[in-house]
Amino acid sequence: MVTKELEQKFAKELEQHQSIIHKVCRSYTNNEAAHKDLFQEITIQLWKAYPKFRGESKFSTWMYRVAFNTAISLYRKKKRNVETTQIYDNLKELEYHDYDDSIDKQLKLLYKAIYSLNDIEKALALMYLEDKSYKEISKTLGISEVNARVKMNRTKTKLKNILNP
Amino acid sequence: MENLDSLKDLWKNQGESKIRYSQDDIHKMVQQKSSSIVKWILIISLLEFILPNLIFLFTDFESTRKFFEEYGLSNTMNIYSAVHIVVIIAFIYLFYKNYRNISAESSVKILLANIIKTRRTVKYYIYYNLTIMGIIGLHMFYAAYNSVSFQHNLEAGSSMLMIWVVSIVLLCLALLIFWLFYKILYGFFLRKLKRNYAALSNRDDL
Repeated sequence: MVTKELEQKFAKELEQHQSIIHKVCRSYTNNEAAHKDLFQEITIQLWKAYPKFRGESKFSTWMYRVAFNTAISLYRKKKRNVETTQIYDNLKELEYHDYDDSIDKQLKLLYKAIYSLNDIEKALALMYLEDKSYKEISKTLGISEVNARVKMNRTKTKLKNILNP
Repeated sequence: MENLDSLKDLWKNQGESKIRYSQDDIHKMVQQKSSSIVKWILIISLLEFILPNLIFLFTDFESTRKFFEEYGLSNTMNIYSAVHIVVIIAFIYLFYKNYRNISAESSVKILLANIIKTRRTVKYYIYYNLTIMGIIGLHMFYAAYNSVSFQHNLEAGSSMLMIWVVSIVLLCLALLIFWLFYKILYGFFLRKLKRNYAALSNRDDL
């Protein structure tokens, strides 16, 4: 396929599925500028890999893998990012003073809790919330299913402790 | 948020992100250059391959040739140079081979392992350079200190042992500075990747 056509097809598919990347970006960054930076880097990595995408897995599954790889291994955070511990303190403060049941507030708390996890746990938490099978999780991370289950249980416990201190 | 499973509904029902890109925005992004860690590793590694050899550009070839001839090192240095060229080519080949294996489509663990492996090739290259510099340095000291001209000009009462100790300490110091500089650079790029790789590889989890 000619590059121009391929690029158009790619842009169309990415526009439709961009919410996946936004979820990853929001989990791995803590401000809008970093979110945009990471989104751009994931888009570039997706585009570089796109000509080899054969459609053996779903476009969304393939996107997840490249997005995680970019966030965990390829992306270098800029210095402006706030340290994790600071975020965690903010989270506790927010829960204590401002907690209410509105969906937005709960989502905000959930994203902040995910952000306080380490890079691998973030991926596990996201895949748990997306209801991915252990087979897919193990394939994405490159670990055994048993290992994925153990790590997932630890991540869930950690997440629970953060959300219910 | 007592039950984590209830979060799945919250997660699925979340609205669109506040940031949203059009197809035009995506076209523009595709034209941008990547600023990924792999790109930086490639640039820094190539510099590390080239820089130790750039010293030769600032060498006064004529006086170096005379120095080697005077101390009978010409043949030895030719052998060192030939070996060095073969070793550099081998390292660059290995680096390129590992670099080609880096793919954002791999599993997270394989990608991390491939990046670390690529960088490790450069680490061994740096160690090789430090070793060869040490060997050549010692060889030159040995040839110089045993030469007739050096012995002839040696002041009475000078201790050869002291001269050797000072020379070796200075050589070690130079190599140490080089090694420390490299260690900082190596750690700067790989700290996060090694931490994530360790988090995936914990043996007690298997």
